[in-house]
Order: sequence, then C-alpha cells, then structure tokens
Amino acid sequence: MLLMILMKSLVIGGLVGFAVGAGAARMFHAPTTQGMGAFRTLGELNSCEGDAASHFSFGLGFFFNAWASSVAAGAFTQDIDHRIIPHWGAAALMSRNKNIAETMHNPKKMAIACGLIGMVVVAFLNSTASAVPPSLQITAVKVLVPAANLLVNIIMPVIFWLAAIEAGKRSGFWGTIFGGLAQLIMGNAVPGLVLGILIGKGVDDGGWNKITKTMMSAVVLLFVLSAFFRGFDLEMIQSFNLAIPAWYELIHSTLK
Amino acid sequence: MTEFPSEELRTDFWFADWSFPFFVGLLSAGVFAGTHMYYVYGIGAFNEVAFVSMLRAGMDTGVYGAVAAFGASFLFARIIEGALVGILDVGGAIMTGVGLGIPAMFLGAGVTYPLDNFFPALATGMVIGCAVGGIIILARKFTMNQSNSTFGADVMMGAGNSSGRFLGPLIVITAISVSIPIGVGSLLGALGFYIWNKPITGGAILGAMLFGSLFPVAI
Repeated sequence: MLLMILMKSLVIGGLVGFAVGAGAARMFHAPTTQGMGAFRTLGELNSCEGDAASHFSFGLGFFFNAWASSVAAGAFTQDIDHRIIPHWGAAALMSRNKNIAETMHNPKKMAIACGLIGMVVVAFLNSTASAVPPSLQITAVKVLVPAANLLVNIIMPVIFWLAAIEAGKRSGFWGTIFGGLAQLIMGNAVPGLVLGILIGKGVDDGGWNKITKTMMSAVVLLFVLSAFFRGFDLEMIQSFNLAIPAWYELIHSTLK
Repeated sequence: MTEFPSEELRTDFWFADWSFPFFVGLLSAGVFAGTHMYYVYGIGAFNEVAFVSMLRAGMDTGVYGAVAAFGASFLFARIIEGALVGILDVGGAIMTGVGLGIPAMFLGAGVTYPLDNFFPALATGMVIGCAVGGIIILARKFTMNQSNSTFGADVMMGAGNSSGRFLGPLIVITAISVSIPIGVGSLLGALGFYIWNKPITGGAILGAMLFGSLFPVAI
C-alpha cells in the first residue's frame, strides 16, 4: 500500500506543482495574463527580494506546520500551494540565476522547478503521514470527529446565520427563510443561508433583474425537489396530525 | 512585466488566455486526486485541518450539505473575483471549491466512483478545472458587464474563514471530554503552537495523539 501511496503522490505532486509554478509566474504578468495563486503569495514572493535563502526559509517555516497537520489529520494545509511549492521553486531557480525576470517571472521555468518540488513534497508528506501507527490515529479520530461534527452542525450554521443578518435586512430575511427551510429539509442550515445571502446581496446591488429572478426560481425549485425526494413533505403532513391525500401518496410512489 | 512584449503575452503558450484552463485543469486534477487520497487512505487532502474535517464529518454522518455549500460558495466567489482582478485564488477556488465542495456534492448524491478510484479522480478534476478556467476566461472577455454585484461573496468568505477558527478550541474541548490525559495533552499542544505563533488546531491534535499513545483509552 505504501508503494501505491508513493506512486499516486508523485503524480499528484507533479501536477499540482507544475500548475502552481506556472500560475505563480503568470501572476507577475497580471492583469494582461490571467494568473493563478493568491495576492498574499504574490506579495510574499516579492518580499523575499530575489534572495534564494529567504525564499527557502520562508517555505520551510510553513513546511513544518504542513507536516504536523498531515501527520495529525491528513490535511496538507493550503500553505503547500500558496507558500511552500512556489517559494521553494523560486529558491531552486535563483540559486543558479539571480535575475528574477528570467527565473521567478518565467512560467515555463517555474512550472518545471515547482513540478519537481511538488513531487518530492507531496510524496514526503504522504509517506510519513501514512507511516503513523494506527493507534495514534484512533486518538486523533476520537477527538477530531466530534469536534468537526460540532463545527459543521452548530458553529457553521450560527456563524453563517449571523453573517447573513449582519449583511443587511434583505440577506438576513432570505437567509433566515432559506436557512430555516434547509435545516428542516436537508438537516443543515448552511446551504440555505448561503443561498439567502446570494439572493439578498444580489438584489441589494442590482435589484430584481433577470439574474436574480432566475436564481430565485432555481433556489425554490431546489428546495421543492429536495423536500419531495427526501419525503419531507409526507413527514410534515403527518407531524401536523393530518391525513395524507391518497392522490398525493400515489404521485410519490409512482415517481420513486 | 517588462521583458515580454505584450503581443507575446497574448499568444505564447505560457502566457496566453487559451492555455489558462489547461493550467487550472492540471491543478484541479491534482487537488481532486488529493481528496481521493483522503477519502481512501485518510491522508493527503490539500486544505486546512478545519476545512478537511468538515468533509470528515460528512464521511462519518453521510450528510454533506454543509461542506458542499461551503465549498461551492468559495468556488463561486473566487471565480467572480479571479476574473475581475486577474489572479485566481487557488485556496478558495481549487483547494476548497474543487477539492472539498465538488467531492461533497458527488458524495451527497451517492456518486463515489470518482473518489474511490485514482484515474477517474484525475480525469474528473481535469474536466472541472478546465471548466472553471474556461468560465474565468469567458468572464474576462465580457468583463462581467452583465452585473457588477459580487452577490455577497465577501460575506460568505468572511463567515467561512471565521468558522474555521473555531476548530482549535473545539478540539481541546472534545479532547478533554475523551479523557483527562488526552485533554491535558491537547491543551499543552495548543499552548505550544500558540506560543510558536502557529494555528492552535495542529498542536491540539498532536498533543492529544501523543498523550493518547501514552495513556490509551478503551474504544
């Protein structure tokens, strides 16, 4: 299994590194060229002022953090694409040529250098993380899973709900309606809150135009269909102590 | 942006608009396959611990609505932003959107094939990434003249990022409820990472693991 993980990691690291390297170099030519990375990556690459050693040590600081979370939870952190690969790629190129226009700003060279570094980094992180004894991972799972459940089921709905309310009357209104419906139908309010914010802010900025109206119809359709196919409608009628009409049950049984 | 003539920036493979979807496709293929690694082996997801554990929660409960909405809202927001500013944010669009949101949608719909298998994962990621890159280039061509609204993208991302911060303290709290030694270990780990100016989530988990191996609890 370890060999399998290693092979897959080399492929994944190569792909990601190649693309991140090319995207990072393209950022230096934005907005003429569409770049890919992040503004903070651009700023941090510039802040190293073409010095290979500072690029390397900058990446190294984040590498240890990425290693710790890979071992602990199987997550590389976003820093692997934002910081470690682009900085080490730049460091590798600059150790031979100090001219940043010919190295860090060149998508071809960055893509190749970062592709190789990505292969090594991803393979290293995955093979060391998979070597952690299972007894250790049991503890991590016992702690992490309940915490993640609390995050997803309690914290996220609350934060998104408050964000919708604080973003203005309209997004608060639609967020509350759709959030509540999503909690009822889908078991989690976050999807509804996101859609409520989307519609509320869309109408705030552009009024009820073609885009927002289409969006609204799509959202209503989404809720109606998921309520129907999850059997929420039947459950609701029964919970209110009402009888389900025979023709309605017939529609359900024929469509399923 | 001085040494290359602008004509070359438009036509050369490494700079052109038409090659952008290809680069996004390669990145998405890798990141989506990283999520496959996480789904199968429990390692190798390209994201923060807090965001990956949302996917973990979905895998354990079978309810993927929250993580799917979370990822999709980031993807949507970053596509709009990327087309406007000329830099696509890799963290929000690819690592969170393509790496978590879209797999969560697949899994929520009961489609496990692209996540169970390596090469289908690569292919799925490639197709999705090319689509994302293509949408951005198209949006750039029309420079978003349809609408100048961001549709609350900033609100959603603000909420998304602040919910990630809750995981560290939550881990310490659940570690303490598992057993006293694991709780103490988690607390010390979090404190150490805090002093070291790192996010406390990683330290809290490592501390819990270390003390859990010294003082094991019955499952």
